[in-house]
Amino acid sequence: MLQQVVNGLTLGSSYALIALGYTMVYGVLRLINFAHGEIYMVGAFIGLMTSQTAGLPFAAAMVVAMAGAALVGVVVEKIAYRPLRKAPRLAVLISAIGMSIFLRNLALALMGPQTRAFPIPFEVKRLNLGRLRINSFDVLILLTSVGLMIALHFLVQKTKIGKAMRAAAEDKETASLMGISVNRVIAFTFAIGSALAAAAGVLIGMNFNAVDPSMGMMPGLKGFTAAVLGGVGSIPGAMLGGILLGMAEVMGIALLKSEWRDAIAFGILALVLLVKPSGILGRNLQEKV
Amino acid sequence: MKFMNYLFDSNKNHSDSKGKRFRIRSMRTVSIAVLLAAAMFLVGCSGSRSEGPSGEADGVDKVIKIGMVGPLTGDYATYGQSVRNGVQTAIDEINADGGVNGYTLQLIAEDSRGESTEAANAIQKLIDQDRVTAIVGAVLSGETATVAPIAQDSGVLMVTPSSTAPGLTDIGDYIFRNVITDDVQAQQMAEYAVSELGFNKLAVIYANNDYGVALKDNFTAKAQELGASIVGTESYLDGDEDFRAQLTKIGDEIEALYIAGYYTEAAKIAQQARRQGIEAIFLGADGFYSEKLVELGGDAVEGAAFTAGFYSGDEVEAVQAFVSSYKQKYSQEPDMFAANAYDTMKIVAQALAKAGNDRAALKDEMAAIKDFPGVTGTTSFDAKGEAVKDVLILKIENGTFVRAS
Repeated sequence: MLQQVVNGLTLGSSYALIALGYTMVYGVLRLINFAHGEIYMVGAFIGLMTSQTAGLPFAAAMVVAMAGAALVGVVVEKIAYRPLRKAPRLAVLISAIGMSIFLRNLALALMGPQTRAFPIPFEVKRLNLGRLRINSFDVLILLTSVGLMIALHFLVQKTKIGKAMRAAAEDKETASLMGISVNRVIAFTFAIGSALAAAAGVLIGMNFNAVDPSMGMMPGLKGFTAAVLGGVGSIPGAMLGGILLGMAEVMGIALLKSEWRDAIAFGILALVLLVKPSGILGRNLQEKV
Repeated sequence: MKFMNYLFDSNKNHSDSKGKRFRIRSMRTVSIAVLLAAAMFLVGCSGSRSEGPSGEADGVDKVIKIGMVGPLTGDYATYGQSVRNGVQTAIDEINADGGVNGYTLQLIAEDSRGESTEAANAIQKLIDQDRVTAIVGAVLSGETATVAPIAQDSGVLMVTPSSTAPGLTDIGDYIFRNVITDDVQAQQMAEYAVSELGFNKLAVIYANNDYGVALKDNFTAKAQELGASIVGTESYLDGDEDFRAQLTKIGDEIEALYIAGYYTEAAKIAQQARRQGIEAIFLGADGFYSEKLVELGGDAVEGAAFTAGFYSGDEVEAVQAFVSSYKQKYSQEPDMFAANAYDTMKIVAQALAKAGNDRAALKDEMAAIKDFPGVTGTTSFDAKGEAVKDVLILKIENGTFVRAS
């Protein structure tokens, strides 16, 4: 059972990393960025290319992947969302779905449809603690996720740009009256969210030894679910939602039958939303008039 | 053109303001009508021209038409293309050897895009318009279930080289199947694991779809019948990435894990199992048979064994000849789909040679095929039209496929 807790934690923390991007963008733009799962895929591909072709060590490949995906995220925002800032929200949503399809097909055209192996750039060690087995990947995923989440918390709470992000999330217009460049804040939010998604993409792509153009679809959906579960717009909520979703899936398999996994995970989501429609840690946001 | 002008003139009676728009629209209508008429005329012509099987009425082109239906585009295109290429390779060889009773074989391949409705349209076209003598197809089980009744009603021989769903040959006596079914290969693997390798503690992880469930059920039943115990049965969905929860539940005290699914997931399952300390041998079915399994699975899939209907590395001369001529034409290794399609076409040709132009006799000759030596081993048909074929067991040794039995 302890082993299943480890499984759930590592799965959940990867969901949390993806959920953070959804929630941050939703926080400042009130937009569900459906292209987020594809950013995750782009990050995984950049990580694969840099560690395989350029032969960079793991940490460097991770940094390059995060930077590359951040750039892609900013470009997507600039060309697909910024021109629609004043347009009805549905238009932006459609644009987001369009970007998602575009990025996936671009990857298909450039990389081909086949799944690629992600060679592990370090030796995988396994630690046996009684019946509990922990390997280097579990440790790596947990440490990286927790590290990135702490860094994000610091960034949002303690830095000037973080303060600007919070201000823009609260009220874009007032924030801009206070001299905050809202467009820059939004671009920055996309960069950070995309970098986190890329980190998840590299970690998962490597852990499961598979990178392909459609790899972003399911994790994108799960990350979105985790964000909604935790309360979309809330950063701690995304972390909590991710861990909860991962745990629910694993426990669904451990305690019941594996066929029930998704039914249980999404049943929990429906139940939470029934009781608390804004998600576990979500605030009831008043619609701005 | 005069004909069109005449029609146009009649429109001029309408008010001038409307006239222009109306004219454009009516021009389009007219040209569509003309095209349709022309098309129907041509269709009518070709239909009547090839009246009677194999168009012998002309006396000039002594051709027997063979139809093929399957996904040539879309998600399942690789399967359909392999089947088409396999049939074409066989036809080229037969024609080079002088054809069948002096007739040349001609392949007419229709695209179903993997959709049953498209497949039904295609088979209608093959039967009514092209008047094919026999059909190799369909490729996917769903397609075959839809089109087989049409072929049966029209009295046209249809042999699927790839659809493995149970019951397809029950549709009628014109419907045959030349592929190992899922139940047979799962039973063979259970026998190999229990009787040959002597394993008693087994577990199954299966893809929750037709293929995975059929393999799981038959493997489990046969293994238990032979006295082994199945200590864990877990499922997953195609496209899943994380199988650790299922593997943790199965535990590491098993001797072999039967992975009832395709290579992409199998490779990931194998790797995650090894990382969790599961040292069991991995077993599988023809869904394993891809170079990608080794590429993605690496060391984890070393020693894995699986059932297959065809082995392109087989040293038998006929297999090597087929592989090299296929490679030359299509610059890729033939897979099981291509090999089964190739054998199917050769078998149909043999039945054709005996039956002549009689379609009822053709299906009888087909049913009478015994021990046909092909690239997928020897093939006979049982009373229902199911092929009785050898099942090969392949295993991975030093990263390459070799025969285990």
